[in-house]
Amino acid sequence: MMAPLFDTIAAGTVASGGIALTIGIAFGWTLERAGLGSARKLAGQFYLTDLTVVKVMFTAIITAALGVFWLGWWGVLDVSRVYVPETFVIPQIVGGLVFGAGFAAAGLCPGTSCVAAASGRRDGMLVVGGLFAGVLAMGFALKPLASFYRSTPLGARTIPAQFHISYGSAILALVLIGLGVFAGAERVERSHRAVHA
Amino acid sequence: MTTRRTFAITALTLGAAAPLAQTPFRRHEASIDVDELSRAIELGDDHIDAVDLAEWIQERREGLRVIDLRSDGQFAAGHIPTAENISIDALSGIAPRRGETLVLYSEGGAHAGQAWVLLKALGHERVYFLRAGLFEWEEEVMSPTLATDATDDERRVFERSEKVSQYFGGEPQRDVPRSTRALTTRELRRRGC
Repeated sequence: MMAPLFDTIAAGTVASGGIALTIGIAFGWTLERAGLGSARKLAGQFYLTDLTVVKVMFTAIITAALGVFWLGWWGVLDVSRVYVPETFVIPQIVGGLVFGAGFAAAGLCPGTSCVAAASGRRDGMLVVGGLFAGVLAMGFALKPLASFYRSTPLGARTIPAQFHISYGSAILALVLIGLGVFAGAERVERSHRAVHA
Repeated sequence: MTTRRTFAITALTLGAAAPLAQTPFRRHEASIDVDELSRAIELGDDHIDAVDLAEWIQERREGLRVIDLRSDGQFAAGHIPTAENISIDALSGIAPRRGETLVLYSEGGAHAGQAWVLLKALGHERVYFLRAGLFEWEEEVMSPTLATDATDDERRVFERSEKVSQYFGGEPQRDVPRSTRALTTRELRRRGC
């Protein structure tokens, strides 16, 4: 069988929905097990007291990058079929700023807010409600904002293409950076614990 | 050994080996059965005409994919309804799927003919191309004409075109003096051009 599954097994709506549901359940379960349904834990990364989010993210990035690379090399995954989102520089910077402000204010990001809501936390439910309200508002605002939304396009850029390096070299660099960030996060947490011990 | 240490060592090992492997993209192995392809070309099984394609689109033929091989600018300016824009160098990314019928077209027919060979080599079974490409669609589906002194065969062909032309918003024209009417791609082919 060749992945991505949506492209290659010509799954109908029910099967596609089943695959999406399974992945969603696994994702939610993993976040909850990592404690990321707690706003206190998530907010801790902004105060450098608890960098679990950073460590989970970089673990996930390294695992996914290595998985995609080696499954592609092995022939299980057709990497050319994996969707690469387009880059729009200024809109994405603005979106990132809005996202970061919301994350810091709420102490939850979209994924973890769903986890918190599913765990019965009221703050999670409120953030999910706000999230959908924001998406709806953006839907109405899309037409007037269309030219800004599509401004500064760079197409579907990848790191290997941007820096003229091989995919393998980009993967090695990513692994080294990821592990470095992970080690750095552990050191910051230890020093914070030592100061407040 | 802790889980973290195991993860770090595994990641470093796989990461260090990645530059040696270079790329995760599949190399697309392909083979050409020259006899089979030449038989298909001889029998005309390599192509369909624009009216055939129009009928397939109209009846929503299952598994049909119409592929426009032109640039994205040309595609945006106008294309056959339901077509997808895929460049020739991305064709190897289309894996053969059971029950699928691919119809390729380009501005004329050269690129589509070349792409047909590539897709057959990659193992696709039901692949066709429009021999005269988008020109053929424009002439035979969007603006079919019937000469005033048309033969019975020409009338039959026109009636078939007229039906699909109306479905796609085309403008069929009857009783056009032959002297003012340009030769269609179908007629050019009949004359051996």
